[in-house]
Amino acid sequence: MTRTLPELQAAFASALLRGDARGVADVILGDGLTPGARVQIYWNHVFSTLTDVLETTFPVVCRLVDRRFFGFAADRYVRSHPPTGPCLFEYGETFPGFIASFPPCAGHPYLADVARLEWAVNAAAHAEDRTPLAPAALEAVAPEDAGRLVLRLEPSASWLRSPWPLDRIWRANQPDADPDATVDLAAGGVTLEIRRGPDDAVTMRPLATGEFAFRAALGAGATLGVAADAGTAADPGFDLPAALRALLDEGLLTGVALAPTSSADVQATPATQEGGSR
Amino acid sequence: MTSWGVGGQGFPARAGIGLRSPHVAEVIATRPPLPWLEVHPENYMGGGAAVRALDAVRAHYPVSFHAVGLSVGSSEGVDRRHLGRLKALVERFEPVLVSEHLAWSQAGGAYLNHLLPLPYTEESLRAVCRNVDEVQAVLGRRVLVENPSGYLRFATSAIPEAQFLAELTCRTGCGLLCDVNNVYVTAKNLGLDPEAYLDALPADAVGEVHLAGHSANETDGRMLLIDDHGSPVIPAVWALYEHAVRRLGAVPTLVEWDTEIPPLEVLLAEARKADARLRGAIDDADAA
Repeated sequence: MTRTLPELQAAFASALLRGDARGVADVILGDGLTPGARVQIYWNHVFSTLTDVLETTFPVVCRLVDRRFFGFAADRYVRSHPPTGPCLFEYGETFPGFIASFPPCAGHPYLADVARLEWAVNAAAHAEDRTPLAPAALEAVAPEDAGRLVLRLEPSASWLRSPWPLDRIWRANQPDADPDATVDLAAGGVTLEIRRGPDDAVTMRPLATGEFAFRAALGAGATLGVAADAGTAADPGFDLPAALRALLDEGLLTGVALAPTSSADVQATPATQEGGSR
Repeated sequence: MTSWGVGGQGFPARAGIGLRSPHVAEVIATRPPLPWLEVHPENYMGGGAAVRALDAVRAHYPVSFHAVGLSVGSSEGVDRRHLGRLKALVERFEPVLVSEHLAWSQAGGAYLNHLLPLPYTEESLRAVCRNVDEVQAVLGRRVLVENPSGYLRFATSAIPEAQFLAELTCRTGCGLLCDVNNVYVTAKNLGLDPEAYLDALPADAVGEVHLAGHSANETDGRMLLIDDHGSPVIPAVWALYEHAVRRLGAVPTLVEWDTEIPPLEVLLAEARKADARLRGAIDDADAA
């Protein structure tokens, strides 16, 4: 059977992901081996490389479940969620969601959140470079416009809420951690900020609930008015001027835009100031 | 066909090494005497420490980009977003050479991180030419295309691989990256004569040579060579390299090592071995 190149490549890709060469066996010359044994060489490389990538990005998850089980989960994940692009440091964004719905992981309810934290650390390490705005950046804003400001935050930053003591779990499973230390899973949840600093080191730290809600809302693209309301809803004592100063002092603010007054075209936000790429 | 400048003018015909993450800090700190270094651009398409380190390397060495993700053998065409990211990196780091592989990785939205084999047909040739044309047009420069390691043959392949590559250079003006280890691995796995393969490549088009180690695995009673870049270059590949250098002249050569990565000094020693053979070729040419 002659196939076009698109047909052949679709069949070959599908054979690789399913680990079953029958769909392409008729177009491969065995040359002394079965076609399946030849396809297996490519399969080995794809799966071992991607398992290594996941293990590098999610070392704490791997340690918590042991390497053999991690390899099993990674195999299932790669089959159902292969990479969509060639930059492998971007592979694994959907792994936390996969773990959350992977029945064999059901006995570790905190595992998916640990994976979310590890993904946030990985994403922070590789996020694009952006120069923070100078502290005077907000001075030119007219008071009547303040509510519809859209503040762009440092691209490496993300905010993670969990009912589990994620930061303690993470620290207890670092290579240099005390191997006898234990983590009390009932110690309570966290509201964490993860970001890359000017020295390129990735840090995580707990935020107060009001500041967490405020920054997470800004990070999701909310206007300053909406984000301030989120801060106050989480903590009636939320101090907006102090929160804005903190954004500037911590180098988190990288761009300012004005949302249009009409809510109908809220997507079109013309940038008025933007930190340049470093 | 557009005629592209060869790029890399004044680029030394000496042996460099592929720079991998375990060696980056040491190279920046100790600045070993290397004529050039090669990196995979896909590892530098984000921000942060990786890119900053490449800035520091680039300040002291010519750097070559050896891409693995363009999938120029894909019938679906080249991923435009990825090509755009490569273009931005090329503009920022001004690499002496840009290369890719004669292979595909992308199909149906999935990116399979391997250099997958093509059937060598006129249909495939047209697809690869279209993609290489686009890459060269977007980057505004000539690229080199590398012969892959082969583990299987398609029943429909009608064109020998070396001839396929030669035709690709004629139709697109691209150059070739001749991976001598891949020639050896492919020839042994598929029952070809490695010297005859090398002799069938258009010598004028070869702008770079690669060297690496491979492993031998027994499968169903048959020995298969795996191009794992995890060991020293074997004597038979050094001999094939000498054959290549006699035919191609002194071409910039690169030693790659990607698994079981040894101390930097081991790679530097491999590069010195290649340099000695390159010097021999230059002396022979001067004597002739």
